[in-house]
Amino acid sequence: MSIQKIFLVLKREYITRLRSKGFLIATLLIPLGMIAFIGVMVAITTWDTESQHRIGIADHTETIYPRLEETSPAKYRDLSNLSKDSLRSLVLSETIDGYVTITDDNISDQKPLEYISSGSGGLSLQSTLKADLRRAVQSERLNRAKVSEEVRQIYDSNISMRTRTLSPEGTEKEANTGFLSIVGLIMGVIIFSAVIGYGGMLTRSVIEEKTNRIIEIITSSVKPIELLLGKMAGVGALGITQLGFWIATFFGLAAAAGPIISMVAGPVQMPAEAASQASGGFDPAAFNIPEIAPSLIIYFVLFFILGYLLYSSLFAAIGAAVDSETDTQQFMFPIMIPIMIGYFIMIRAMSDPDSTLAVVGSLIPFCTPIVMITRIAITDVPFWQIGLSIILMLGTFAVTMWLSAKIYSVGILSYGNSANFKELWKWIREG
Amino acid sequence: MSIIEVNSISKAFGATRAVQNVSFEVTKGRIFGLLGPNGAGKTTAIRMINHILIPDNGTISINGIDASPQTQRMIGYMPEERGLYKKMKVGEQLIYLARLKGLSRAEAEQTTRHWLKRFDAADWYNKKVGELSKGMSQKIQFIATIAHDPDIYIFDEPFSGLDPINSEMLKQIVIELREQGKTVLFSTHRMEQVEQMCDDICLFNNGRAVLKGNLRDIKQSFGQNTVLLEFEGNHRFLDKLQHVRINNRSTNFAEIRVLDGQDMQQILKTAMEHAEIYKFERVEPSLTDIFISTVGEDNINANDLA
Repeated sequence: MSIQKIFLVLKREYITRLRSKGFLIATLLIPLGMIAFIGVMVAITTWDTESQHRIGIADHTETIYPRLEETSPAKYRDLSNLSKDSLRSLVLSETIDGYVTITDDNISDQKPLEYISSGSGGLSLQSTLKADLRRAVQSERLNRAKVSEEVRQIYDSNISMRTRTLSPEGTEKEANTGFLSIVGLIMGVIIFSAVIGYGGMLTRSVIEEKTNRIIEIITSSVKPIELLLGKMAGVGALGITQLGFWIATFFGLAAAAGPIISMVAGPVQMPAEAASQASGGFDPAAFNIPEIAPSLIIYFVLFFILGYLLYSSLFAAIGAAVDSETDTQQFMFPIMIPIMIGYFIMIRAMSDPDSTLAVVGSLIPFCTPIVMITRIAITDVPFWQIGLSIILMLGTFAVTMWLSAKIYSVGILSYGNSANFKELWKWIREG
Repeated sequence: MSIIEVNSISKAFGATRAVQNVSFEVTKGRIFGLLGPNGAGKTTAIRMINHILIPDNGTISINGIDASPQTQRMIGYMPEERGLYKKMKVGEQLIYLARLKGLSRAEAEQTTRHWLKRFDAADWYNKKVGELSKGMSQKIQFIATIAHDPDIYIFDEPFSGLDPINSEMLKQIVIELREQGKTVLFSTHRMEQVEQMCDDICLFNNGRAVLKGNLRDIKQSFGQNTVLLEFEGNHRFLDKLQHVRINNRSTNFAEIRVLDGQDMQQILKTAMEHAEIYKFERVEPSLTDIFISTVGEDNINANDLA
């Protein structure tokens, strides 16, 4: 194998792509798209929680409604003087979303309250409604029990909790789970999209050489394996360049972005229960000026490269096996399955990074790059798991590379028809 | 002195035996034609000589060295399926291809500029290949094949898809190369090109080399057993001739191969009875006829020899 030839191929792949307008545009637009995406996500979780619900309260005790009105005057309407039938017709005519009838039994006995509505109104409505009613009813019950002011204060007091993480050096640091979850998500999504994006680029590049018919001229100078390695390295180098640019830009913008996010998310006050439900596990108010450990960046680059190598070897083989881009579908499908599984495990790993699913997912080589980086961002992953996942990935890469080289060396010279799986197997044995 | 030595090579793709036990030698400074119908195994043999495919059995040596990346540099190869990177500029692309053949950056650039000038294409240097016309990109393709100044040139079906101007130019290049002492091997299924250009030939059929040697010697060994007939009148009388094979026939011309040592005067007589004869000539058989005689009429698809 000639390193010099591999390098020549690498350089061509890299330079011709680097200079293309499409690359420049993608490099600039993807982070903007990402920022917009995150912005929209944050906006949706914070801005949408109090949708305009109108709930009628038929309060026959005259003690509960004033308390609810205090909590949220726009939401609760005093409809105590209406009959059951008129309440029902208000619900059906959609003047109100629903109503709750409160009688003495609900306060003195444990009789459950009933919320009558035309539609459930969603989990978040139910939980805020439940929380509001509980607080009001509880307060009235305390009143009736004539408990002392001290006890009342105990009930009113909130428990707050701050999380701090302990580093191996013994220093404690403010934990930033919300922020790190987002960092983990972004890193996982970047690797996920990079694997598909650069993999697809490589497939197209291999097909291009076949349809251009230049491949035979190239193979009269270069061994297929040299060409394959050069192409993989060239597209990979392009990926690293793009990633490096993004990381640099991120750190440049991070200082500015942090305060902006906390400005958007900061002033929103929500009942804790609703907030955690609406935003899927993290509190937007927990945003802070980002602080990302250098080791996380190193792991990110490492898993980015490993993930790229593993999948790009397969994507290159697809390119060699087919005759035109439209024929790639049948082979893309089996490759997309593990990527998608990895993606879904990653989403789960965000809220519970130490669950069995997340641990197992991060050790399956085809899911590792996506799942592991998210776990590393959020939690303290034992080193043996990281080490094992890297070893497993390298081992799997050796196998896929071997298979790919065989398919590639036969496939690039077979024009005119796309192979099926049976033929691929033949190529592997022949190659 | 033989510069390419092919010793009983075989290559199979699954059940298809593309090349079976083929041997031939190409002499330095001569034009060697590899001919045969489509699918006879010519391209597979050429790919093995170029070390793109590895033979299952047998050996190939170039200049005394076994086929290897080292011998690839001695060969300029133009495949039948040819093309270039459309989005790359002409100059860059030629330099890249020459460097893959082992030239240094400076050498590659120098030879690229030299050849572009030679083909009146110096101002294409910064043009993308995709912007060139078909004829122009064919010229670039030649340059890509010859830029690294190899000793051996291999062209697989070089005339297929070429426009008449480039076709003529390629013929000139091939003859020029021979004058410079270079060796040329090309494959074709078009016999008349071989007759015009080749010194030596090797005839392929169904993966085997069925006939090889000096073209003149081969033709002479078949003797003057063919009649060229030009006439005016109804050509139907040709159907009445027996023990002949008519290889090339039109409304006023026929190339008639006489079989079984039949008296040629009989043919002339029959012809004179039915048509006015302009020309009657005894000649050596055409290569097409030699090919048919060698492999047997039943073994070929006549369309392949068009």
